[in-house]
Amino acid sequence: MMRQPTVHELLEAFRHGDTDPVENAHRVIENIARREGKINAYISLEDFDSVLEKAEDSRRRWMRGAARKLEGIIIGVKDNISTSFLPTTAGSRILDGYVPPFDATVVERLQKEGAIIIGKTNLDEFAMGSTGEFSAFGPTRNPWDEERVPGGSSSGSGACLAYGGCNAALGSDTGGSVRLPAAYTATVGLKPTYGLVSRYGLIPYGNSLEQISPMGLSSLDVALILQVMSGYDPLDATSLNVNPDVVPEGPADPESIRLCIPGSLVGMSDEPVKKSFYSLIDRLTGEGASVDTVEIEGVEKALPTYYTIAVAEAASNLARFEGTLYPSRGDYSGDYWRFISKSRGEGFGIEVKRRILMGVYVLSEGYRDEYYLAATKVRRIVRDELARITKKCFIATPASPVLPPKLGEALGDPLKLYAMDAYTVLANLSGLPALVVPSGFSSNLPTGVQFIGGKLTERSLLSLGMLVEELTGIRGAYAGG
Amino acid sequence: MRVRIGLEIHVQLSNAGTKLFCDCDSEYRGFPPNSNVCPVCLGLPGALPVPGRRPVVLALATALSMKCKIPERLVFTRKHYFYPDLPKNYQITQFEKAGGAPVCLEGELEYLDTDSWEWRSVGISRINLEEDPGRTYYEGDILRSRYAYVDYNRSGVPLLEIVTKPEIPSPRQARMLVEYLLLLLEYIGAVNPRLEGVFRVDANISVEGGERVEVKNIGSTLDLEKALKFEAKRQTAIVERGGRVERETRHWDSARGMTKPLRLKEEEADYLYFPDPDLPPVEVGKDLLSEAIGILKTTPRSLFERISSMGIRSEIAWSIVSTPPASKRFLEAEKMVSDKRLLGRMIGVDLKGELKEQGRDLHKDSAWPPAERIAELVKLVERGEYTYDTIKGLVLPKLASNPLSPIQPLLPEKVDDVKALVDEVLKRESKAVRDYLSGRGKALNYLVGQVVRAAKGKAIDPRKAREELLNKLRELEARG
Ligand SMILES: [Zn+2]
Repeated sequence: MMRQPTVHELLEAFRHGDTDPVENAHRVIENIARREGKINAYISLEDFDSVLEKAEDSRRRWMRGAARKLEGIIIGVKDNISTSFLPTTAGSRILDGYVPPFDATVVERLQKEGAIIIGKTNLDEFAMGSTGEFSAFGPTRNPWDEERVPGGSSSGSGACLAYGGCNAALGSDTGGSVRLPAAYTATVGLKPTYGLVSRYGLIPYGNSLEQISPMGLSSLDVALILQVMSGYDPLDATSLNVNPDVVPEGPADPESIRLCIPGSLVGMSDEPVKKSFYSLIDRLTGEGASVDTVEIEGVEKALPTYYTIAVAEAASNLARFEGTLYPSRGDYSGDYWRFISKSRGEGFGIEVKRRILMGVYVLSEGYRDEYYLAATKVRRIVRDELARITKKCFIATPASPVLPPKLGEALGDPLKLYAMDAYTVLANLSGLPALVVPSGFSSNLPTGVQFIGGKLTERSLLSLGMLVEELTGIRGAYAGG
Repeated sequence: MRVRIGLEIHVQLSNAGTKLFCDCDSEYRGFPPNSNVCPVCLGLPGALPVPGRRPVVLALATALSMKCKIPERLVFTRKHYFYPDLPKNYQITQFEKAGGAPVCLEGELEYLDTDSWEWRSVGISRINLEEDPGRTYYEGDILRSRYAYVDYNRSGVPLLEIVTKPEIPSPRQARMLVEYLLLLLEYIGAVNPRLEGVFRVDANISVEGGERVEVKNIGSTLDLEKALKFEAKRQTAIVERGGRVERETRHWDSARGMTKPLRLKEEEADYLYFPDPDLPPVEVGKDLLSEAIGILKTTPRSLFERISSMGIRSEIAWSIVSTPPASKRFLEAEKMVSDKRLLGRMIGVDLKGELKEQGRDLHKDSAWPPAERIAELVKLVERGEYTYDTIKGLVLPKLASNPLSPIQPLLPEKVDDVKALVDEVLKRESKAVRDYLSGRGKALNYLVGQVVRAAKGKAIDPRKAREELLNKLRELEARG
């Protein structure tokens, strides 16, 4: 397997002078120049000269011993995270050309620690999708196999990491949107505990479910990024008033690891996925980890529950896009209703429209109780159940029940598409942290394993991730191409 | 015919300082269009609402003042409808039927009936704390305007929606209730009731034997009474003719002084309510409550009762209470004087009247002289140095036009030799003297008037003038 340096390795090398931020920037820019035309991981890119200038500034800071925590690290930011210096489209035509007048809290925090944001990564429109194919700016291809999708909705973040178009990336995870791409691109993605990372500046899809989430080439990288971006933010009322240390000292002691496997849920996976999953579990038990099988009450209802809540919140959040305040293709003459119908009709893509319609339906008078309210009740059951289980163990599942599909393969059947999130939505419904790390390769396609931990157990989850990396040897995987 | 009135009062917490969910100014008037805005109140995607402490405390204080049931947690809900001046196309409110928890469910508003000076009360169904939308302007007529101009300066201003039970017995009572409510909100520092558009009222009114009619768009307490009187009369006439009052929504046309049916039938809108996921429930803890109780120390009622207990007539007491700068002066000056009634009269009647006469803004604190000055004047009267009438006629007008002036220069010169003045008048007015001596007592008043007049603006005590006149006249009489 070809390798590329991780953030941790880069920072060490910068410190020892083995390489410097300018060299790193050149390498990243080269990769972008070589692969981007085909992969389409970025919607907008920063001017490369200005990236190199910033890298030069970072280099000087390292020289004079004034380096900050992420000095010179190059980061791709999902294009639903607001930046005042680059357009923020959320992958939608309706926001084409929109430049927010403010930066997301996480962007501010990363830049303050010396990170360089190189561009805004592609995504399914408004983060609604599991393959990256619903972007208004064209699908992203998987650098490991360009005929296949990189997973979504943070498709560009996973892809640019895999081909070396960034050192680390930000995604957002509403139902698995960083964990699927992580699994499909042999990278690491962590959905933090709800409230650990500020959502200020994240264009909302399912507010009660999602977190801005770090992606990296190793668990330690993810920890280093998370450490900088997490913590209380007075601008987000759902932000938790905590500032935990999330960087592990090293890989977890396998003997201390207890895993719970929801057997029947894992049973739904395709054969190669199952095989890769259980072979990793075997290696963990071989090292001394203990494994139990659990049944999670209400788990079969988790997926419809997730989608009911997500589409309800989405329909509400997207009401604001009607062309008055944002760039629109609508014609202002004529009446208001015709104007907004035209703006929304032409501005939104098919999947977004589908979810808005479903959202309006589940919130409508007469249906609200049957759908939306019922879903909030099931959600509570699932949340309590998962909280109970994760007190004693990490829940382990494959990241996705299927291998990365070919482009176009999953598009025709929304239900099949939604089923890709069967394992990941559990963490969003419950607000618990969940980590996906590579578990191996199956016929040259990456597979990932997911661990769900108790509230605010990011540090132990990430040390478990480090342990898995030791066992698989997959760290800093490079889809050279 | 018996009428029953219920009110839905929307009032902006204009003095809260901030908007409901961001730090923009709660008092948006006077800003150039779209300059009192930020990502939050513009509803930009990714900007998040965070409840402001002051608006929440003021809403809680209002609820406490009405003895409301206050939930342990306030829950905000989203109410969706498309409108150009509603930037998110949903309004954050507290609809209780969709998981919301409003700041008040079930309460009671007491208000002063200023006709009978009795306290009355009306049930409150609920109070919501919610955000105001922006505003849309047109060039002249909405139908002819080429553009709709949207200004978001008002967007996000905290708004209380106070809903009474339909048990107000008359248009006049409805007006007095709203007037009292606004005064109460002014006293707790929530609202400046005189700002344009700071409150609006929707009323429902029914007469016996008729359906309920909604009247929308009432912008002043005067209009409220007028609109309801108009409706009561209109509905009564229908019932007396043997007709039926249909359930409908009407619009108050202030310029023409009549209600008109709304041409558009309101659709049965579905607002897709659900709890706002960006806003965790606001715990109504001890600190929030004690802060709210703190600002409720002074209510118009407590003040009115305190002032009345000093032997001051209700009309005067209310005149003071209904003008907060006046009541502030009264409470300060009251500690410095012994004749509280005199003080009440000076502040509540004559000084207030003089300020009004001179066209000053009675509600502006700087229009009023400091309390010490007012107390000084009262003490001059208490010590008998000047008469109340002298102060009223010669000093208050000057003080009203120059409220920061020290008192001394405003005081008229006193006539130092009353006797000389009396002699002068008696010499000049020989006819009146004869009249008096021949038994026409009324002539004395005339003579007193002449003495005061001869003082030419200098202060003279009419009682002293009268005493002196009588002495002299008695002397004359004795001399025959
Ligand atoms: Zn604002």
